[in-house]
Amino acid sequence: MNNGIYGIEIAWLDAVIRLHIIVGLMTVVVMGLIYVERKVLARFQQRLGPTRTGPAGLLQSVADGLKLVGKEDLRPRNADPWTFELAPYMVFIPVFLGFVIVPFAFGMQVRILELGLIYFVATSSLGIIGWVMAGWGSDNRYAMIGGMRAAAQGISYELPLVLSLISVAMVSQSFNLNDIVLSQSTYPNLLWQPLVLVIFIIAGLAELNRTPFDIPVGESEVVGGPFVEYSGIRWSFFFLAEYAALFIMGLIFAAVFMGGWAWPLGEELGRGWQILLVTVKTSLFIFLIFWIRASVPRLRIDQLMAFSWKILLPLTFVQVLINGAVLVYDAPLWILTITGLVGIVVLVRLIERAVRPSPAVNSEFVSVGNEGAS
Amino acid sequence: MRGIVKSLATTMSTFIRGPVTRGYPSKHRELPERDRAFPLLLWDKDIDEPFCTGCHACERACPVECMTVIMKDNPNHESQDGTSKRRKIVDEFWIDYGRCMRCNICVEVCNFEAIAMNNTWSGHETSVYDRADLVMDLPQLMAQSKSDEIQEWVAD
Repeated sequence: MNNGIYGIEIAWLDAVIRLHIIVGLMTVVVMGLIYVERKVLARFQQRLGPTRTGPAGLLQSVADGLKLVGKEDLRPRNADPWTFELAPYMVFIPVFLGFVIVPFAFGMQVRILELGLIYFVATSSLGIIGWVMAGWGSDNRYAMIGGMRAAAQGISYELPLVLSLISVAMVSQSFNLNDIVLSQSTYPNLLWQPLVLVIFIIAGLAELNRTPFDIPVGESEVVGGPFVEYSGIRWSFFFLAEYAALFIMGLIFAAVFMGGWAWPLGEELGRGWQILLVTVKTSLFIFLIFWIRASVPRLRIDQLMAFSWKILLPLTFVQVLINGAVLVYDAPLWILTITGLVGIVVLVRLIERAVRPSPAVNSEFVSVGNEGAS
Repeated sequence: MRGIVKSLATTMSTFIRGPVTRGYPSKHRELPERDRAFPLLLWDKDIDEPFCTGCHACERACPVECMTVIMKDNPNHESQDGTSKRRKIVDEFWIDYGRCMRCNICVEVCNFEAIAMNNTWSGHETSVYDRADLVMDLPQLMAQSKSDEIQEWVAD
């Protein structure tokens, strides 16, 4: 690599330019997502959502951003200065690093990494440190509890997430996201791995700290968790990280399960169509998450941990073992579809058994449910 | 589990049904024709004068005493070579919208059907910065009827 500009190697320059494009894209997408979430959530609750700022409230995110930038950057007197002020970056940077491997279309990514999936999992789990730093540094009990909850939840749900991704990687025979997408040009992975798809969505919800797994930031319990003491630009960093993480999780979902830009029309498609396909698939995931947020109440912390360790993790282990057996003995892949569907049934049964209320409150639950449906 | 599915179905059905909220200050819901805002005076278009003869019936009946009426001889009466059959006509009329409780009694007691309850949005959106601005005088009370802003039912 002798060719360079001003002594900087082309490869580095190229990466920097691509990263800058990503920064711009991410900011725009995050602002759009905040607007879309407010609109979609409003529609789920039969409200209108933002309407006053700009046409149909389109400038709401800009107004929010300006307001946040204009606010005073407060730090409590007893807070640990370094921990407190660095925490937003520790939350944001790992999320941003994840964008390095995401394939937007054929040949459109910052870098193709051989172990891209592992890289994604490794970077995304770093964010937990930032959450704990924010909780610890704030010197606030609510923030502390929130940070601890974030750590517990993040570490617990990391395992089902990683194992579900590994199980997909086994079928695709690669950790390289580009290869995974290419391997799905005829059949997407969700056909072979329905159980893992469900587990990925559940664990992804928990990783993103979204309802029903939003106990670290539950307003009614810990008044916003680690963010309690933050204001202005630092708080908006957390927000940016949250929605960027949502976006990237959607992209990973599209690439790993839905075949990214390759499925259903093959890889010869024009770039515009590829980007459209990825956008649609990502939006599907994001809409699903908004939908779940509008519907499902928050879990309790003990239910949360039990759900991860006693239900999700064993099921993913079983799926990985079955994958191994099927792949080693070259059995047809439809066996995986059947075991996956059976796995979903088992998962549903297990959840039903876990959440079954005691008989005394049972009737009450039923009546509430009926009211909601009518 | 069934509860989760049920709640998802419920929210999806509300999603499809669409919002019930109206963007109120910019979008106005249509008012019913018998909507009762503040009282107004009506304008007799045939003769080009108010229906009101200034008979004080509404003023006496008003439970909160928000009205003040002054009567005069009608300069347009037939005896003065005019076109009107009204011997007396209203000279000045004030209604204090700050005191009015929209009880409809003035409309009930009026012998000439000269007063009616405003059934448009202008009767509801009457906020002002000064209490004194809520006291309406004759031209203000007539304006709605003159320009045909109030709906059919009132004029009957």
